[in-house]
Amino acid sequence: MAAFLAPLFFCILSRGALLFRPLAGVFIAAVIVFVLSGCSRPREPSPRQIIRVWAHQGQEAENRAMRSIADAFNHAHPDLRVELTFFPDFQYTEKLAIAAAAGDLPDAFDLDGPLVARYVDSGLLQPLDPFFSKGDLEDFLPTVIHQGTVDGVLYALGVFESGVVLYYDREMLASAGVSPPSASGEGWSWEAFMSACQQLSAAGIKPLSLHMNESADEWYTYAFSPVIWSAGGALISADGASVRDILSSPQNVESLRQWQEIFLRKYADTDPLDPDPFGNGKAAMDWTGHWMARSHLEKKGDRLGVMPLPRAGASFSAPCGSWCWAISARAPQPEHAAQWLKWVTNSEHGIVPMVRANGAIPARRSAFAHFPEYQRPPYSLFREQLETIARPRPLTPYYASLTRGFAAALRDISRGVDVQRRLEMAEEEIDRELQRRLPAGKEVSR
Amino acid sequence: MTPWQKTRSRAAPWFLLPALLLLGIFVVWPMGRALFWSATNADLLAPGRAAWVGAEHYRDLLTDARFRQAFANTALFAVLTIPLQTTLAFLLALWVNRPEPVWRWLRAVFFIPVIVSMPVLAVLWTMLYQPPQGSGMGLVNVAVSFLGGEPRAWLHDPATALPAIVVMSIWQGVGLQMMVFLASLQAVPRELLEAARLDGASAFQRVVHVVIPSVRNTIIFVITVTTIFAFRLFVQPYLMTRGGPENRTLSLVQSIYEMTFLSQELGRASAAAFLFMALIVLLIFLQRHFLKEVRE
Repeated sequence: MAAFLAPLFFCILSRGALLFRPLAGVFIAAVIVFVLSGCSRPREPSPRQIIRVWAHQGQEAENRAMRSIADAFNHAHPDLRVELTFFPDFQYTEKLAIAAAAGDLPDAFDLDGPLVARYVDSGLLQPLDPFFSKGDLEDFLPTVIHQGTVDGVLYALGVFESGVVLYYDREMLASAGVSPPSASGEGWSWEAFMSACQQLSAAGIKPLSLHMNESADEWYTYAFSPVIWSAGGALISADGASVRDILSSPQNVESLRQWQEIFLRKYADTDPLDPDPFGNGKAAMDWTGHWMARSHLEKKGDRLGVMPLPRAGASFSAPCGSWCWAISARAPQPEHAAQWLKWVTNSEHGIVPMVRANGAIPARRSAFAHFPEYQRPPYSLFREQLETIARPRPLTPYYASLTRGFAAALRDISRGVDVQRRLEMAEEEIDRELQRRLPAGKEVSR
Repeated sequence: MTPWQKTRSRAAPWFLLPALLLLGIFVVWPMGRALFWSATNADLLAPGRAAWVGAEHYRDLLTDARFRQAFANTALFAVLTIPLQTTLAFLLALWVNRPEPVWRWLRAVFFIPVIVSMPVLAVLWTMLYQPPQGSGMGLVNVAVSFLGGEPRAWLHDPATALPAIVVMSIWQGVGLQMMVFLASLQAVPRELLEAARLDGASAFQRVVHVVIPSVRNTIIFVITVTTIFAFRLFVQPYLMTRGGPENRTLSLVQSIYEMTFLSQELGRASAAAFLFMALIVLLIFLQRHFLKEVRE
């Protein structure tokens, strides 16, 4: 604003300089005052305490639900008022970071689960334990608590969870003579999975969709870490401070080699154009998240089957984690912001309207009562996974670097590069950054 | 000095003040702060906790494999793009520099990619470069196999990914440089061309001895601008390859962006940005030194 106005004033002044000479100084002073004062408007004094809340912008239905949750909150709290601001999903994380840098974080905000450790490490979040009773917290799915807990202290709570399963089309499998595991909740070993792909492929059916056209790096780490975990591997040390000899461990090399076979044998495309080949009947199985359940169910009906992701080793594994709510460490009245967090994570007030809108998995056990579809597959499997085999992504302040390096490696591996060499390269890159950034006391010996 | 001149010189600082103030607030002050940060380990999320590290970031960046790779990629991109794009733009301008309306259409056609937003073009070219899979492949591969070549995954092969982006970028940017050349070609004195023709100069000789000397300043301008554009490479590789395969298309700007917003190492990112700026200033200085503009 000021940047536009100033040249305008300047123009006026320089043209009429002789006429307005005595006034010039006054004009310039006025411009300066205007520039320095910004565009701040005097605030109406409000009897209600304002709670500044930021949220990422999701689907329109999700935003509507969010607004109505805030309206209901304001209605129920005569002394408080939530001021809700949305920011587009793709720049929300940057927006938060810039606000943190400027010391201007809102009182309460949502952030992506894997970022919690980073924000805690920078001292930006308020512990939540004082505001929630033990009974309250026991109602949350264990993964939600795990995702928000750093060094035993709870900092963030989600409204919904996520999950990835292997969807399949019963008829397509049957036509290739493939039989899925009979018991519900049971999945395939890697050998069984590959031989199913082999049979489908031989029958002229594209076996699998892995959504390798996802633009977000996070898809790769999120969806394919279970391949590593199920073989007993890890991405980073338990304390989140080292990847040396962990990321490129022989067992990780072995499990990702098995994963690479999917592409080498052309069971799935490395560069698909179709965002939903399974839904469109062009692939027999779909390795994707809960967000496709509604659409797949509509398109396939009884033909739709689900099972956990195939295991590359001894145990099944599944990813989890999603957006969660936190309170800024600098919130002047954290107890007010906590009121909002309690409201938005409350089953009736927050979770039910939000989950109705976005189709995600409720974060609290008590909320499942409102969603009868969780009594049977595919939905029942999501809940079952979250209660048993799901594993949050590593809780480390350096997660962003880890996921970028790992996702880039997965992309290259899917296209056929040598797995060991590529994992070592990623490990080297991530390790260099970890070594540089670890506080002196936390130095990891090699 | 007449009284009028005296008042004028007295008033001058006042008129300069608003502009200087804005420059100070929005350019000099942030740059000063960035320079300060570059010597600290400032964290984007908590810049207040910064500790002094001196030239450590600069030292570290110069030995960092990823940053060096980004530098090498960007430099290779510039080395490939600048001469090709400038030459092509000049040839195109010579070709379409005709008065008939049909040529105006052709100019517009060459200019269209400049006005289309880069993310759209990036998606479009990713589809063009699509490797063969299932029943289909991208148009580039269709063309290559029609000509008897082997279709390949252009954007996934470390050897071809950057050249593929160079081709796309030249296609996208050449229209702008062509327009600049066109404007200056139309200012080439007709008498000179006429006289050269009467003296028996061939078309080629006229271009080399009459046209090029007349548009010399424009050529220098175009080379300078193309250099700056080339070093600012970011959107095409970021959207088409994410800097892969194996960091072979990682650009300097992408690496600075990631330092700032992914790793959130504000100090290190500031240092990288200053190295980047120093590099560009040095290049422009060298170009100015060796390609002097002719002033009348």
